[in-house]
Amino acid sequence: MQGEPANISASAPERLDTKPARLNLLLRGEVTSLEAWSAQWDSQRIISHIGIIVIGTGLYGAAMGWWRDPMQALYTAIKFPLIILLTATANAMLNAMLAPLLGLNIPFRQSFLAILMSFTIAGAILGSFAPIVAFVIWNAPPLASHTQDSGGTYSLILLTFVVIIAFAGITANFRLLQLLRHLGGARRNVAFRVLLAWLVGNLFFGSQLSWILRPFIGAPGLPVQFLREHAFKGNFYETIFRTFINLFRVH
Amino acid sequence: MNETNPTPPQIPPNMPPPIASAPPISSYAPKPLGENPEERVPITSPIQAIEAILRQPRRVMYQLRQPGAGALMLYLMIIAILCAGVYGVIVGTFAGHDQLWIAPVKVAGGMLFSALICLPSLYIFACLSGSQARLAEIFGLVMGMLMLTTILLIGFAPVAWLFSQSTESPNWMGTLHLIFWFIAAIFGLRFVSNAFSHSHAKSNAGFNTWVVIFMLVVVQMTTALRPIVGTPPIAGATNTKEPFFPTTKKFFLSYWGDCLNVDSERSDRTR
Repeated sequence: MQGEPANISASAPERLDTKPARLNLLLRGEVTSLEAWSAQWDSQRIISHIGIIVIGTGLYGAAMGWWRDPMQALYTAIKFPLIILLTATANAMLNAMLAPLLGLNIPFRQSFLAILMSFTIAGAILGSFAPIVAFVIWNAPPLASHTQDSGGTYSLILLTFVVIIAFAGITANFRLLQLLRHLGGARRNVAFRVLLAWLVGNLFFGSQLSWILRPFIGAPGLPVQFLREHAFKGNFYETIFRTFINLFRVH
Repeated sequence: MNETNPTPPQIPPNMPPPIASAPPISSYAPKPLGENPEERVPITSPIQAIEAILRQPRRVMYQLRQPGAGALMLYLMIIAILCAGVYGVIVGTFAGHDQLWIAPVKVAGGMLFSALICLPSLYIFACLSGSQARLAEIFGLVMGMLMLTTILLIGFAPVAWLFSQSTESPNWMGTLHLIFWFIAAIFGLRFVSNAFSHSHAKSNAGFNTWVVIFMLVVVQMTTALRPIVGTPPIAGATNTKEPFFPTTKKFFLSYWGDCLNVDSERSDRTR
């Protein structure tokens, strides 16, 4: 018995409605599909996007926190998706207003769903790297035994975390830029301006939220906690400012 | 007056006539899978799977896309595990004793585990590159890669066995096995790369990045599951049993550094 030749492109439309196929389209950045998705409020699709964010970033967070303690893994698995979802929700109004002000006339729904889709891409990438990060942590000396000698290992693991998060963020924003360019038509720099404005707003809010929800990895000398005792005391930018001042203080 | 003509007469050069039988450039593009009727013949047994991956890799790629490719994936996985186990026995012959069963378990388990933890990132990289391959197909390709790699390792097995019987340095043997694995892995990865070119991937950058990650994971796995090669008992010395899993965590570079120090101390003692 001989099978019929199956050309993937020919069989693709049959698979568009399945969840894996939707994730595939999202990751490939098929702007026509993404535009259609962002144009209508499909609750099932939104739930599946939120599900990918929760599972993907949750797994990655668990792998990060596991280095300190299994309980820290659980805490970070809860906090990491929270940051993403709260940032997307809290800035939704601002982002929806900024887009038309900067020349991209899209409704609230479309701006919110576009950002949610970019976070979904980041979540999927982070989730896919979670097993590798877990393997790296499994091979690393415990964080509790962090000494001067294990400084190289400590730095290498932190660098791994940062590189993967940066890769996920850059890829997700690149896909978002492609969608915005498609929505913006011929005015290509409008898309870039909108993306930049959204990024600034999301980073500003997200950084402070991360500061409040610290710790994510934990520190050897400090207890494992969901939130630090003085979580709402001080802010991220104030700390950066103080660190900067301390660097240049003349003793 | 200088009568020499600085510019030679414009004589058209004698160009060879175009060869009618020369294929057009477009014919060098990869042909769609399944175009050749032989590629459409289903693979129904493990022996056929081995033959196909060595002689007709396109047939394996094509069959992995068909509905009901689960049986083929299972064949690929079982053959990969068996071949890795056989090569593991050869690895274990260096130290002998318990290492004869420990090494096959670690080699087969380590390879499968490395492939599985890298599978999600390969799928994501494939999608980001524009590939339309499904997760199940990617899984099948990874199993195909493992099978091809381990079959080639079996080919290297006689050479590895000969060296394992004639050398006393675990480091030397470890390096040799890594070189053999590296060569075999190149062919395995080439199989996946060729399959990617048929899945509408726009770029190979993502796949190449994944290859680096996969290689690092496998190399680290050799450290995480140490000792795999083991240490042959020294005559007159008390033979202490080595644990199945290492008691300390190390990255492969620091482990390799330690191995080099131990090897030099060992050679000093036997000198």
